[in-house]
Amino acid sequence: MKSVVTTVVTAADAAGRFPSQNDLEAVQGNIQRAAARLEAAEKLAAGLDKVTKEAGDACFNKYPYLRQPGEAGENQVKVDKCYRDLAHYLRLINYCLVVGGTGPLDEWGIAGAREVYRTLRLPTAAYVEALTYTRDRACSPRDMSPEALKEFKAYLDYTINALS
Amino acid sequence: MLDAFSRAVVSADAKTAPIGSGELASLRNYVAEGNKRLDAVNAITSNASCIVSDAVTGMICENTGLIQAGGNCYPNRRMAACLRDGEIVLRYISYALLAGDASVLDDRCLNGLKETYVALGVPLQSTGRAVSIMKASSTAHINETNTTGTNPVESRFRKMETVKGDCSALVAEAGSYFDRVISALG
Repeated sequence: MKSVVTTVVTAADAAGRFPSQNDLEAVQGNIQRAAARLEAAEKLAAGLDKVTKEAGDACFNKYPYLRQPGEAGENQVKVDKCYRDLAHYLRLINYCLVVGGTGPLDEWGIAGAREVYRTLRLPTAAYVEALTYTRDRACSPRDMSPEALKEFKAYLDYTINALS
Repeated sequence: MLDAFSRAVVSADAKTAPIGSGELASLRNYVAEGNKRLDAVNAITSNASCIVSDAVTGMICENTGLIQAGGNCYPNRRMAACLRDGEIVLRYISYALLAGDASVLDDRCLNGLKETYVALGVPLQSTGRAVSIMKASSTAHINETNTTGTNPVESRFRKMETVKGDCSALVAEAGSYFDRVISALG
């Protein structure tokens, strides 16, 4: 799993040397930003269900045709799966906030997503709309501190860009 | 390879649950104690060659047969291999201490180490003894409790001159990585 510490250790191991001052400084920088990340992760985990519901609702409001027969949300089972997927992305963002890197999203969310959505004929625009709504809806200090919000939105944008 | 943070992620993913306040408490502790941890890694890496040579020397002093003809540290070529291996083990322990997780030590150092040593005829007991001496001196360096030892006029020992604090948790963690090596060889 890619994170600052594992990247540093991998590089040091490839060179066969002990962790150098540079390596320790890199980890120190990561630790300094960690408080904001962990705050964002905690707040997101606490409100995950609500955030998922709001994001899904926003997506079906913008694209009501999705509920028509033959579309991705034609019955309740399929609608539920849409909400489940959004919860999945938000959970991965929660993991990314904890790790401090895009490793979890890359490995478990984005790798192969394009192929899967094409095969299942799912519109990625709907996911983009839902996550964009979440990004624009999140605000400080109501939801979390400004630093935490910046970290959270960075990963939302990363996911949006990957799905666009 | 995992660190303390990605370890939490992997175990949360197994339950498909987000990481909430409960799991975050121990990670916040990692963050709060971060500078201590970096100092501890620095204490090991800055004194690495001293720690390794001291451990190998101690191992041989206790069992001088090792450097006599037919011993496993005779001739210099094998002694050099021994010092090299001591440094490698200490290096992976320093990685594990930095990451706050033993996976790098397990995957890249200990996996198959015992089998390799058995095949090469390296005495496991002596190796374990050297690692436990490395544990003792690393503990002293992290804690800044190193002393002159049995020789009162000894001046060749070093303090890291860091601010003193309660490092008991980190010392215990570092000790657990050394113990992991010893039990992997046992």
